[in-house]
Amino acid sequence: MTPPPPISVAESMRSVVKPGDSQINRDLLGVMEGVSLGWGALLGVALLFVGAAGVTWVYQVYIGLGIAGYTHPIFWGVYIVTFVFWVGIAHAGTLISAILYLFRAKWRNSINRGAEAMTVFAVLTAAQFLGIHVGRMWKSYFILPYPNQRGLWVNFRSPLEWDTFAISTYATISIVFFFIGLIPDLAIARDRAKGLRKLIYTALALGWQGTSRQWKAHSRSVLHLSGLATPLVLSVHSVVSWDFAMSIVPGWHATIFAPYFVAGAIFSGFAMVLTVMIPFRRIYGLEAYITDYHFENMTRFLLLTSWIVGYAYGIEYFVAWYSGAEPEQTAFWLRLTGPYWVSTWIMITCNVVFPQLFWFKKLRTHIPTIFVVSTFVNIGMWFERYVIIIGSLSREYDPAVWNVYTPAWPELIIFAGSFAFFAQFIILFIKGAPFIAISEVKELAIHARAHAKGAH
Amino acid sequence: MPEIARRDFLKLVGVSAGGAAAAGCAEKVEQLIPYVVQPEEVTPGKPVFYASSCTECSVGCGILVKTREGRPIKLEGNPEHPVNKGKLCSKAQASIGRTYSPDRFKGPLRRDAGGALLPITWDEAIAQIAEAVKKSPAGVHVLGGDPGDTANTVIDQVVAALGAQRTTYIPFSGEALREAARLVFGVASEPVFDLSGADLVLDFGAELLESGPSPVEHQRQWAEARDIDAHALDGGARLVYVGSRLSLTASSSDQWLAARPGSEGVLALALAHAAVKAAGAASPHAALLSGALAKFDADTAAAQTDIAADVIRSLGAALARANSALALPPGVGVTSRRAVGANAAVLVLNQVLGAIGRSVTVSAEIPGARARAKYADVLALTKRMQSGGVSVLLVHNGNPAYSLPKATGFSEALAKVGLVVSFATAADETSALAQLVLPDHAPLESWGDLRPRSGVRGAIQPSFKPLYDTQSLADSLLAIARKVGGASAAALPAGDFHSIVNAAWADTDARAALQRGGVFAAAVPAANALFDASKLDVALPELSGSGEFTLLAFPHITLGDGRGAALGLLQEVPDAVTHVLWESWAEISVATAAKLGAETGDILTVTTGAGDLEVAAYVRGGIRDDVIAIPTGQGHTVGWYASKEEVGMPGMARGVNVAALLSGQTDEAGGQAWLTEKAAVSNTGRHRRLPMLQFSDNKRGRQLGEAVTLAALNGHDEHAAHHGAHEMRVEYDPAADAADEQYERTFQARGQKNVKASDYRWGLTVDLDKCTGCSACITACYVENNIPVVGETEIRNVRPMTWLRIDRWIGDGETDFMNETGRIQTAPSREKLGEVDVRNAPIMCQQCGAAPCEPVCPVIATYHNEEGLNGMIYNRCIGTRYCANNCPYKVRRYNYFDNQITKWPSPMELGLNPDVTVRGQGVMEKCTFCVQRIQFARQDAKNLGGHNAVIADGAIQTACQQTCPSNAISFGNLRDDASAVSLKADSKRGYHALHVLNTRPAVTYLSKVVRGPAV
Repeated sequence: MTPPPPISVAESMRSVVKPGDSQINRDLLGVMEGVSLGWGALLGVALLFVGAAGVTWVYQVYIGLGIAGYTHPIFWGVYIVTFVFWVGIAHAGTLISAILYLFRAKWRNSINRGAEAMTVFAVLTAAQFLGIHVGRMWKSYFILPYPNQRGLWVNFRSPLEWDTFAISTYATISIVFFFIGLIPDLAIARDRAKGLRKLIYTALALGWQGTSRQWKAHSRSVLHLSGLATPLVLSVHSVVSWDFAMSIVPGWHATIFAPYFVAGAIFSGFAMVLTVMIPFRRIYGLEAYITDYHFENMTRFLLLTSWIVGYAYGIEYFVAWYSGAEPEQTAFWLRLTGPYWVSTWIMITCNVVFPQLFWFKKLRTHIPTIFVVSTFVNIGMWFERYVIIIGSLSREYDPAVWNVYTPAWPELIIFAGSFAFFAQFIILFIKGAPFIAISEVKELAIHARAHAKGAH
Repeated sequence: MPEIARRDFLKLVGVSAGGAAAAGCAEKVEQLIPYVVQPEEVTPGKPVFYASSCTECSVGCGILVKTREGRPIKLEGNPEHPVNKGKLCSKAQASIGRTYSPDRFKGPLRRDAGGALLPITWDEAIAQIAEAVKKSPAGVHVLGGDPGDTANTVIDQVVAALGAQRTTYIPFSGEALREAARLVFGVASEPVFDLSGADLVLDFGAELLESGPSPVEHQRQWAEARDIDAHALDGGARLVYVGSRLSLTASSSDQWLAARPGSEGVLALALAHAAVKAAGAASPHAALLSGALAKFDADTAAAQTDIAADVIRSLGAALARANSALALPPGVGVTSRRAVGANAAVLVLNQVLGAIGRSVTVSAEIPGARARAKYADVLALTKRMQSGGVSVLLVHNGNPAYSLPKATGFSEALAKVGLVVSFATAADETSALAQLVLPDHAPLESWGDLRPRSGVRGAIQPSFKPLYDTQSLADSLLAIARKVGGASAAALPAGDFHSIVNAAWADTDARAALQRGGVFAAAVPAANALFDASKLDVALPELSGSGEFTLLAFPHITLGDGRGAALGLLQEVPDAVTHVLWESWAEISVATAAKLGAETGDILTVTTGAGDLEVAAYVRGGIRDDVIAIPTGQGHTVGWYASKEEVGMPGMARGVNVAALLSGQTDEAGGQAWLTEKAAVSNTGRHRRLPMLQFSDNKRGRQLGEAVTLAALNGHDEHAAHHGAHEMRVEYDPAADAADEQYERTFQARGQKNVKASDYRWGLTVDLDKCTGCSACITACYVENNIPVVGETEIRNVRPMTWLRIDRWIGDGETDFMNETGRIQTAPSREKLGEVDVRNAPIMCQQCGAAPCEPVCPVIATYHNEEGLNGMIYNRCIGTRYCANNCPYKVRRYNYFDNQITKWPSPMELGLNPDVTVRGQGVMEKCTFCVQRIQFARQDAKNLGGHNAVIADGAIQTACQQTCPSNAISFGNLRDDASAVSLKADSKRGYHALHVLNTRPAVTYLSKVVRGPAV
């Protein structure tokens, strides 16, 4: 016997209604207070990995990229794969905050802060890879168009140049958007904090008093920034996909790439939100704020985007066959049967097969299943990029130089380090600011109360 | 903390500052100063060329040593030399590395009790030897290869003066051919084979295009004899190859007879028999049918050779019909115990074909070291050494401790010699066993001369001052003899070796000879050469051992007898047939592999009566099932590149020395026999990926190495004509060239309306019908463009830096989805026994008109210049490597490490070309059509003809084009309709690689012409 579905997210959060605002403050700000051993250990592990990756990177800059597994003609490896992966992860936050905001999907309120934070941190993580990947990172500023005496200029025809702009614009907007949303909560934190913390929050809260004039300005800013951020959700990963689609490499050169990558990015972004939120909710006992209803909605999103991604996979093969171009056909055939067949089948299983479990309501609300499937989707999406990037490069036009790439240890350390880099921000952020937007939850609570009154 | 007084502090400061300054003084001061008194012939920035001769093999090609500001930087062929006519092979191109070898001895050395080599003065060394010589003059022995003409005479004089003995040993020296010539013609000469004008050429394993009697010369003559423009209708000369594996020569042949190894003599006589028979009673040699050829009818021979009787008969008939047929005698790999018989049989066949006097010159015997080289003498010397009969052994020009079969026990016998002296220039296995090392000059520092063949007298002159404290071999020997003194020493020539050489050349205009590189005339036939087939004794050779396979120890194309292994460049340029490098391999057939359960890279144990070796398998279709073939040349334990020292394992052998499997037998003439063993082969079950640079010979029908049949080319085959290569071309249209568009647009955007496109569009053509895959172009490109040799580790990571590679395809290939496992090195070999359809396609940067690499670079490090070149600005490159991903030809190379620092052990950096930027870590690089040569020619034209002077057609030769022995490459201005390259590019056979991508390359390939088998 399954209970009837809640009519609205407010209803699902009925338990929040009762305690009132001070209880919400206590619950959500309480997360920020006190440092547990577990938290410290997690941070320690993350920093350890970040340190190891940092040392490896310095060594790589010193000795050369040759310590990575590159082999002719596979010039892009795990670094670019992981870069695209993190750019993809960075999509959910803006999507949840901006697009769902514009669509007035109220259920987003308790997850948007976490998702936005993840966006910012994922973009920062992705940006690291631009420096890690290039051969002469000490000259990487050449990619920026700025006036200089050396007559250097950039090539605006290069998708990598577009990438530079897309990523930096996206990073800027996400950070601003994130911060604007944070201001009311920073003010609440300021009011409760003492000592140095108070000083910091006071500065960060920018004199927020919660007057109606401020609220008006705030909600307008959020609205306008949402409007600005919405096209970015679509553009940034489209531009990243053009790094590939604009080339002539068989397996890359496809018109479907922009929507394909955007859908994939949203898919992986939502999966990452789930992967992070589920343990977070469990650890801090915030079931009242992040309810199964939230998770269920997100699994629906996963199911939808999984179908889009699956469709894109199918279309890629169809177009390869339909094109009649032998190099294209060979490249795709060898994805299935060639040296990367394991990666390809991991990608298909994780991204297309597993999410089908969410056709069932029981599984959509079964938290362990959601956690496992979302983790698999993260894995599958990483392998999707691996298959696209490395699988294509290893089977290009000249069969004489076909070759197989395997990542080397520095790449694996830096790959692991990127997760630690991302995690360290999340871990620190949990203690630094409300991970659930207090003001927005209160907004929901007011709704719910009104709703409850109306019902009686 | 104790207080420091002000005065103490100042003292300390003074002391530490002084110390720092003193430490600074200890550093080597390098001075960069201009010429104060400029040498008359040196203009900074302009190369000076010195004519000399190559000493890498016995052919003695003429070279021009290109020097810049007093340092040799490149070798090019001497256009005036009659043998190589301006062209050089891979070995010669790489030989500049001998001068700059990190293995070089920096001065005389002696070995101390602990085995370490310590410096010693020349006087001490000479005195020590003289003393040992005085003790027992009869026990003094000189052992060595060919030191050159005059040096040979000097050695003889010294040997006579000392009362010593002398043995000449050259690993690949052709004793059998000289003896065969003596048997058949009465003159122990090495006949000169000339392919010009030939219409049917038989190669009985001579490997004429790779390791044969004169590879550079024969490649040129072969290409000319079948030049499709000159022989449009019949296709020109056909080449029939006899041998058990699809070698490089076989790959370029029209027909491959995969005869049983060792049966060359029988087959030659059977063909002679068939030819005489086909010619009928009119044949001047009809008498032979009942004489020397009686036993060699087609049916008997078929059973012995594994070649069908009707093939023998029809080929014999074709030989009889041919206007100008000739046959080349068996090469080193098939030198069996019956090699003299086999060589004699081929000479008889030549006589029957009427080739003697027309294409084959039996010249008089050449005086010199080579004529008396005899492997059997070394065996005798080894015996004497073992019995303690040799007190002083002076070893020059050779590395017997490496090249002699282990079974001879030479290395062990060396230990019984009182004093072993090596005159090696660089460290090798023999000098490692010597007590004294008196290093000779490197070839580019030496005086000397050569008499490689009748009519050719080559000069050797130094092109710069010796780098180290070395002394020429002849001078060292003379010093020893003078030190020993005695009555006979007075008879020795006076002066140093340079003056002795000058005296030897006094009979000619020595100065003119030095300028031209020597004195050259046509080969003169020996007056006393008379044909006599009566002494012919031809039979299949017996092989020792009991294994199932015949062991074929074939000469490696570039490493040769092992000399090449010391040159990193020759290790790094892949074997043109297997694409294996830095390693040894054992070729086995697909059937053998299936039987052994082995795949390419599996380690096999090969056992013969003489020993056993572990070597990686290379599985291919193009080898007989009963043969296992292992190349010579590897297995060195000494040397930076020759051993594994380069990868940090000094003393460890690189690859295997196949001589360890030989029992050291001789042929009838006392020459070294290589085809003597039966081998048993087993699979160890271990696997180690072979370092290789090409993993599939299936081009899947893509436009990468095209061929067109002769019929289609002549319009006789409508179907084929439509699918012929000329369909695969995007006509070059200057108006559509991205260079123009971009260039004009750029300048117009800047308001400079009057800037118009350039007069030049540089283009290159490669005639695949002429390309043999010899790889000389690759080697030349390395030297010209300062390309680093990255070493075995990086090659195993498949990160070569080569700007030019040769793709080797078998046929058109097929889109074979199901058989593609996708794992590297398991792509099934498409070769088939007895079938030849090999396409060698040299791939360099195509300098595309619409280059995919250019738009993707975010920092404009690669760009299109106004002359159609894809420029590379190394300083701008930040290493995104996007350009390389987007290059469909995969010609871009990336510096994963700081190769130019880590991969150039001293003193190799002295040979860098100052005109070419040295690339650092993290930048992309690629072929630029030798842009430095273009710029040089432009400056030259301007100097002569003013600012608007036009660069004449032919004024620029790219390094690859310059050296190509078969003239397969043309370069020039595509905008000039009359230029050689434009005419070539307009050929019916022209196609653009991967033309479907519309990259509009500046490189036009001319399809290979499939002429079909000779019979």
